[in-house]
Amino acid sequence: MKAYIQLTMAQLRIFMRNRQVIFFSLLFPVLLMVMLGSFVGDSGVSLSGLIVDQDESQASGQLIASLEQQGIAEVGQSADLEEALDLLEKGEHQFVLVIPDNYDETVMAWQKQGETGPVPDPASLTVYYDETNMVTSQLGLVAVRQVIDGISKNLTDYQPALVMEQKPVESLGLQYIDFLVPGIVAMMIMSNNLNGVAGQIAAWRERGILRRMQSTPLRASTFISAQITARLLLNGFQAVIVLLIGFLFFDTQVRGSWLLLLLFVILGTLTFIAMGFIIAGLARTPESAGPIAGMISFPMLFLGGVFFPISSMPSFLQAMVKTLPISHLSTALRQVMNVGADLVALWPQALVLFGWMIVSFLVASYTFKWE
Amino acid sequence: MKPMPDSTPTQSHEAIMIDVKGLVKKYNQTAVVKGIDFQVRRGEIFGLLGPNGAGKTTTMEMIEGLRRPDGGTAIVAGYDTRKAQDKVKEVIGVQLQSTSLFELLTVEEIVNMYASFYKKSVPVAPLLEDILLKEKIHARVKGLSGGQKQRLAIALALVNDPKIVFLDEPTTGLDPQERRMLWDIILKMKEKGKTIVLSTHYMDEANILCDRICLMDQGSVVALDTPENLIRNLQSESAVQFRIEHHEQVDDARRQRFTEQLNRLEGVKHVSVQGDRITLYTDHLQEALVRFVELAETEQITFQDLQTRTATLEDVFIARTGRSLGEE
Repeated sequence: MKAYIQLTMAQLRIFMRNRQVIFFSLLFPVLLMVMLGSFVGDSGVSLSGLIVDQDESQASGQLIASLEQQGIAEVGQSADLEEALDLLEKGEHQFVLVIPDNYDETVMAWQKQGETGPVPDPASLTVYYDETNMVTSQLGLVAVRQVIDGISKNLTDYQPALVMEQKPVESLGLQYIDFLVPGIVAMMIMSNNLNGVAGQIAAWRERGILRRMQSTPLRASTFISAQITARLLLNGFQAVIVLLIGFLFFDTQVRGSWLLLLLFVILGTLTFIAMGFIIAGLARTPESAGPIAGMISFPMLFLGGVFFPISSMPSFLQAMVKTLPISHLSTALRQVMNVGADLVALWPQALVLFGWMIVSFLVASYTFKWE
Repeated sequence: MKPMPDSTPTQSHEAIMIDVKGLVKKYNQTAVVKGIDFQVRRGEIFGLLGPNGAGKTTTMEMIEGLRRPDGGTAIVAGYDTRKAQDKVKEVIGVQLQSTSLFELLTVEEIVNMYASFYKKSVPVAPLLEDILLKEKIHARVKGLSGGQKQRLAIALALVNDPKIVFLDEPTTGLDPQERRMLWDIILKMKEKGKTIVLSTHYMDEANILCDRICLMDQGSVVALDTPENLIRNLQSESAVQFRIEHHEQVDDARRQRFTEQLNRLEGVKHVSVQGDRITLYTDHLQEALVRFVELAETEQITFQDLQTRTATLEDVFIARTGRSLGEE
């Protein structure tokens, strides 16, 4: 027992005194969050348009007000059409709406028309949009059409026969950062433990540190248990820090319980520590431990749903991907954080991870060598 | 009247701490240790002396239980090192040839950590005092000099108050001052009653420290005795060493004849040839020197770098193997 405590303490001390490792292993995930989060996460957020009001009447004023009220787009006004189109071409706005000078007259005619009078000609509003940026332009067009439809329905006393009621099912308001952070945490857990354990144990073996320990009555199981405890504390703590950074500074959502999140962090850490021990057992030199760990962790990084959703992959890949431990870890973290899933919903992930952990530990205890 | 103790003091002094019988180790079918036997007595410093590759480290590691022998047995403090590994490990202390330690831990932390591996351990402060590292107790391993690191490695071998201490080339790579310091520490360990097994390829070190020396070469024991007896058995007090000038111009047949004639010289006990260097061993230095110079004159062989000295363990090794300790 005292050997276990001493070894755990030693490992914690070594880690805490290696400031560079701490700094970079925290810096990397945060940098990823900042970079990926801000590059990809901005899409569709800012939509702005310009209105060229050639009518300048009360009616056109109402139209502008209702566009502003709708709040989808930020609208500004411009007096000059040429200037407005120029700004549109430069990409500073996504659409330009032109209100013709006969707008007020037409609206009046429709209001006076009543039930029997002759049908007046409709007023024609022109929308210019940026064709190179279809996604945002479409959003702008939809927004403008909605407002104009509303006004013209009012004018004609239109009674709709069919009504569509919109009920959002998952109005989680998720952004890419919400997808990203659980993935980054899963990636961190994998690489810190897999590469960390494999590299360190192989280096200790090379430098004769393990051999020296082997000449004492110390048992391999005590040594491994202490390693696991120390790494669990350190890497679990790091994962929580990254989760907190995401939560506090990037508004990542955590809908489920933090406790369940922690449970999956621990489960993932244990699984990848065990795999790290296997690699350390296979690697003949510390130099080969790195590439072997990389060979295993790199494909998992891209296939395991860390950066891209698994559902967007070809189906033959999906079947393979769904057996990887990293996929289940990232899915579980994501479900807890994004959707607020509980253990009842996540038992398949928990079970698969648990299975990976047990099998890995069995293999690791079989392949572990002091020298 | 008090009853007599079961064992007389002489018996306990002569007790066998390590008994090695027919130990063999093979790597890829080639034997690196070829069936060796020796016994180590309680309280002595037992030296394994030989060049690099003689099998010293492999032998030690088989006794320590770190390597599995391919044949033979090693009994350590009454326990078979193969069958009762844990018992053996509790009573031995080991300093490996190249141990690196956790650089970021302090001396105290690392000693405490190793102490925790054993059932029995000694307090840190007096231990560090004995190996002259007391003032470095709170220093990190990273900042220690090579000699200090080596002394720390020896402290770790003593942390469980072992009966037997294994020191594998403890002074290799150290400067002369550090070597002397380490010799003092090792001799003090002996005073405290430890049995010490020490490997080295320095004959002066073996000569100063060891009570008995096991000369090893190419996986076999060449000779085993006290340093004094080893040299005495050479039956030569002095060595005469010289080089043949223009060695490469003297043809083989001529050199062969010269060597044979040297062997027959009166007073010469043994001749050893290593390349262009020839060593004569004699217990009548003056007579042998005169005859040698006469012979060189008649044979028209020019010699250079002539020196005479008292015979050493190196000479014993050369006489037994035809090679010097420094050669691979």
